Amino acid sequence: MLILTRKLGESITVDDDIKITLLDIKGKQVKIGIDAPKEITVHREEVYQMIKEQNIQASGNNDLAGQELCNIWNRLKKVMSEE
Amino acid sequence: MEQVKEGNVRRVNGEGGNLVKLSTTRFGYIEVDESRVIMVTEGIPGFEHLKRYAILPLDKKTPFWWFQSVEDGGIAFVVVDPYILKPDYNPVISEDDMRFLKIECKEDMALMVIVTIRSNPFVVSANLRAPIVVNLKKRLAKQIVLGNSSYPVCYNMVSREPVNKVRCPERDLMQQWQPLPVSL
Repeated sequence: MLILTRKLGESITVDDDIKITLLDIKGKQVKIGIDAPKEITVHREEVYQMIKEQNIQASGNNDLAGQELCNIWNRLKKVMSEE
Repeated sequence: MEQVKEGNVRRVNGEGGNLVKLSTTRFGYIEVDESRVIMVTEGIPGFEHLKRYAILPLDKKTPFWWFQSVEDGGIAFVVVDPYILKPDYNPVISEDDMRFLKIECKEDMALMVIVTIRSNPFVVSANLRAPIVVNLKKRLAKQIVLGNSSYPVCYNMVSREPVNKVRCPERDLMQQWQPLPVSL
């Protein structure tokens, strides 16, 4: 891992078009600004990991029979109609 | 979309283009018209290498659909129209994402959320935090991770919890939503 020391307000550039700026430091929290082309997706790591894990879990449902999903839907409909 | 079953082959017909043929875990051997394929250019998190999907209806009696990879027959997701679960669902889709998906008007756009089913204990959850936004006209889609939203990754469809309130500064934009048309 490349480690750089930066002061408040200073930036790092990645390639030609990504700029990461240190905007604010308060205790243990650091505010970071990212300028990047819109085709570059930026995520908070823990949220992205959560989504990824959820997708992997969900892909395990591909052996469910249609009838099972019908039963699940009927059960949900019942819950919804009780409200 | 017309879906016909000839013998054991399920076929998704389109405008008479080339057919993508594949063998799937769920449906056996299927044929999908190239014009019905949906491009997920970034892939979905965890499956970045898969870019091409087809939406296959499951059964007219349920609102579930299959989001089937046409590159890997073993990968398919159960998806559902989020409004059926949560009529007030109102995620903020950024203008950058709208542009990325080339969405010009509300008629082009549909939303799906991925469903996870666990059997022991029985839990059915929907990922409201990361809806799949589809441009139906241009056949483009992206799973959008809502950055500052409090919508849960695991929204329990049975107990309907956790129910979170969400701030929507771009509410107007999201008026553009429409339910997934049955004739997809």
